[in-house]
Amino acid sequence: MSFIHSLQSEMLKTRRTAAIWMSFIGGFFIPIIYVMYSTYKKESINSLIGSGMNIWRRHFGWNWENMAPFLLPAGIIMASSLITQMEYKNNTWKQLHTTPQSYTTVFLAKFSAILILTFQFFLFFNIGIILSGVISCLIVDGKMPEESIPVWYYLKENLKYFIACLPILAIQYLISLRFKNFLVSIGVGLIMLIGTLIAAPWQHVYTSPYSYPIIRLMPGREFPTGLSPHVMAILYFFLLMAISFLIYIRRKEKG
Amino acid sequence: MSYCVETQNLNHRFSNGDQVLFDIDMKVPSGSIYGFLGPNGAGKTTTLRLLLGLLSKQSGTIKIFEKDFDRNRIAILGQVGSMIESPSIYAHLTAQENLELLQKIYQCPKSRIAEVLEVVGLGNTGRKKAGKFSLGMKQRLSIAIALLHQPSLLVLDEPTNGLDPNGIIEVRELLKKLNKEQGISILISSHLLMEIEKLVTHVGIIHRGKLLFQGTLGDLHVKQNQDSILSIETNDNERAMQIISGMDFKPTHREQAVELILTDKQSIANINKKLVESGLDVYSVQILRNDLESIFMDLVKN
Repeated sequence: MSFIHSLQSEMLKTRRTAAIWMSFIGGFFIPIIYVMYSTYKKESINSLIGSGMNIWRRHFGWNWENMAPFLLPAGIIMASSLITQMEYKNNTWKQLHTTPQSYTTVFLAKFSAILILTFQFFLFFNIGIILSGVISCLIVDGKMPEESIPVWYYLKENLKYFIACLPILAIQYLISLRFKNFLVSIGVGLIMLIGTLIAAPWQHVYTSPYSYPIIRLMPGREFPTGLSPHVMAILYFFLLMAISFLIYIRRKEKG
Repeated sequence: MSYCVETQNLNHRFSNGDQVLFDIDMKVPSGSIYGFLGPNGAGKTTTLRLLLGLLSKQSGTIKIFEKDFDRNRIAILGQVGSMIESPSIYAHLTAQENLELLQKIYQCPKSRIAEVLEVVGLGNTGRKKAGKFSLGMKQRLSIAIALLHQPSLLVLDEPTNGLDPNGIIEVRELLKKLNKEQGISILISSHLLMEIEKLVTHVGIIHRGKLLFQGTLGDLHVKQNQDSILSIETNDNERAMQIISGMDFKPTHREQAVELILTDKQSIANINKKLVESGLDVYSVQILRNDLESIFMDLVKN
């Protein structure tokens, strides 16, 4: 129960923060661009009929191709830094650490709040994808899309992207917990992300926690570990979380 | 006597090797208002941070409510309200929201939020964000946070910093009321004895990491009387020296006065009477260094 109360408390802290707005604006950014583009080009998703693939799958793929390599990781870097650094900025670690809850609860509740914000972003993005598909059809064709949404496919693909985000969430949480300076977590995150984008063709790119959303866009690619990218992402996530927890719990000054 | 806070041989060394606390044996009686005094950098905040687990303990023992802190941290913190150094509040949230998020953790009744806001005089701050509060208002909000869950012990580190004189008096009255009406024990640190001598029942004086004095305010007053100096000015100080020496005192001649260590108040009357009876004109009789601040300064200097 104390975890639930702690999580409720963490979610209250996100009220009116930039992280909330980022998940909202970030979620609708690419879909809005699509609506503008399709209106300009006068091409709705209905024009994809006959391409050999469900129009909603094509639409989903287009949106994720534009979101996954940079905007999604950059959003995660900023949101996770904002949430964690809030305690340094407000000088509230000492307040938090004198409340009657275990350090494990504090650590997990704060990370769960970041996970919930990421989930919220996924939700907004998917709503945006569907709305942009519908709106483009209504504007361009004056009718609804002609094929139904493959819900199961959407859920499965979203889960895979979510797993790909986990190593980024974990490393950004680690950096944000470790360093007081907000610029360190944002700066290191963005530099590592850009470096990973440049190194995308490298066979060992999977060693970067920032690589997994990019790897998702390269289906069929094999790595020397012999493991699937999803398994590697999950292993990486647990490893980074364990290191984060050790750093957090062993900190001699807790506020 | 039961103690709500008891430390034994508490030592602390910073990462650069500097030792900042030396065998601190602090004893805060239950139900007391304990003033923890010392100049800036004496080790007050370090001690309080150790008591609350904000610093890892290196050696010694800490007992709060007669239980070992390390083994009972969560249970103990559920009964402790604290405010360490500068206010600890979320600037983007209102006073009400700051308390709401702690109410979730403490699981105390929601009605407590309005109650503590009223107590500290922030009941009408509405939607104003805490970041826009004055330092005094932030300090009050921190006190409200410390009081939210009706703790048995309040640990306050220089809570009147940033408050105007009126605010200082209000906080003092509030703490007195909490102690008297709700039996809350209070451990309050300050670098100004004058500021809290009207509030506390017990005093601990720390300097350069060493606890120099600990006892009731009465004990400190005894020490004050023991250490006070009587200064007497007469029309013939040489003769006054001889008369006072004849009364088994050891006076010294200082500029235009005779000074001696004062042991009790009756001695003042006896000396004055003798001098007058001996035909001397007594111009002034005054007690030097009799205020608590001087005792504090003496302890710190020595």
